[in-house]
Amino acid sequence: MEPGAGESSATDDYESLISTTDSELLKRAWRNEKAAPEILKFEAALVQRSRQQIQLMEDTVEEFAKNGVDPLTVSLYQMDLDRTLFLLRSYLRTRLQKIEKYVLHIQKTAELWNRLSKQEQKFAVRCAGDLTQHLEQTVLSKLPDQYQSHLKQSGASEGDDMVPEPKLDIYIICRSKKFLGAFQLDDSGEEPVNIEADDLYALPYKSIKPLVESGQIDLV
Amino acid sequence: MYGKKASELVKECVSAEPGQLTTFNNDLFAQVIEECNGHLLHLQPLMRKIQEHENKLKDKRRSEDEMAISEDERRKSEAEKTVIQTAMKSDQFGALIHHLSLVRNKRCLMAYVYNRAEVIKSLGWVVDCVLPEEIEEKLSSSEKEYFKNHAATLQSYTSELDLDLTVDMVPPKDPYIKVRVLDDIGEIVLSDQVANLTRHAMLFLRRTDAEQYISQGLMEELAG
Repeated sequence: MEPGAGESSATDDYESLISTTDSELLKRAWRNEKAAPEILKFEAALVQRSRQQIQLMEDTVEEFAKNGVDPLTVSLYQMDLDRTLFLLRSYLRTRLQKIEKYVLHIQKTAELWNRLSKQEQKFAVRCAGDLTQHLEQTVLSKLPDQYQSHLKQSGASEGDDMVPEPKLDIYIICRSKKFLGAFQLDDSGEEPVNIEADDLYALPYKSIKPLVESGQIDLV
Repeated sequence: MYGKKASELVKECVSAEPGQLTTFNNDLFAQVIEECNGHLLHLQPLMRKIQEHENKLKDKRRSEDEMAISEDERRKSEAEKTVIQTAMKSDQFGALIHHLSLVRNKRCLMAYVYNRAEVIKSLGWVVDCVLPEEIEEKLSSSEKEYFKNHAATLQSYTSELDLDLTVDMVPPKDPYIKVRVLDDIGEIVLSDQVANLTRHAMLFLRRTDAEQYISQGLMEELAG
């Protein structure tokens, strides 16, 4: 093989190795979660591994500090630790805030409910209970019988029309790592969009939902 | 004018700065609820009358089918049916208006309470359990309860996870930051040092420790 091709394959390997490290995965999950309007799948294994690594780092830093290792090294390790902790906390926090906002909708939709972790599900149940109780106390108990549901506008409503839902057709900026070819945006018969690798696109979230779920596209 | 007071409530909610609460407007709220009850008082008899009209129509139709009647009688009963139908229509329209106004009032009231609840939820992230006084006096009693419940729910999630989620709100630039203490707090045990937090003291604290006090307004960060 020529050295050029060998080098480029080495870079590719290195890149693919780097992109699967936990910190990269965590960064990706965090970015996707921040950009997406609805809640995405909970990366349980990733969170578990990250927490174990954070624990390991904390112990290492403590040992270094005790043994009097060069303080610059210690603070560098500390910075890295802090940044990973921030990513993890922000990831969980963003998810929690999304749950808070759309708790009634998430409870109703089985697909979304399955994307929550066990603790998040417990949180969602309590959150919904609190909200319902508050609404009932303040407003609903004082209204006439047919109008006391917090989900429906009145007894005559057909669906649960008082539940706020996330807007799925907002435009978000995304990038794909690989060439995905022609992708049909929606059923309105518009031309399919050519999705190249590493190009930035602004597309409606609804159209690329399946790609995000399978991990082929990243949100920026 | 139906619905005017409810839209005033909503306007109040909107005109406040985002993230700020106005005092819970108990009077206006009670007035809108009264209006709703008024609608109900109108609605119920109207629905009853509609039901009566429907029953009469059904009876008439049944009697027409069952008995053989003459041409004259048929024409008379058709005229009677039309009269009943017009009366029913006007009752139906009245009932519709009352129903729609009631539903609109319900939407406005719910929007008012729901938006305030969202602001309270975001408060729960910044403040731990105790609300500052200026905010507390703006909430109704049910809202205060909601805040407590919500804080407890957050607390239960955090303790299950064993990870404090209310710190680290901004990406970290330095592990330690310089802070000036604004109020006397006394001696506090922090994660790696014991600090004496007296007024105007300038200290180097771990970011995660300092954030709690900064968000309560007891410390300020010194940049640079």
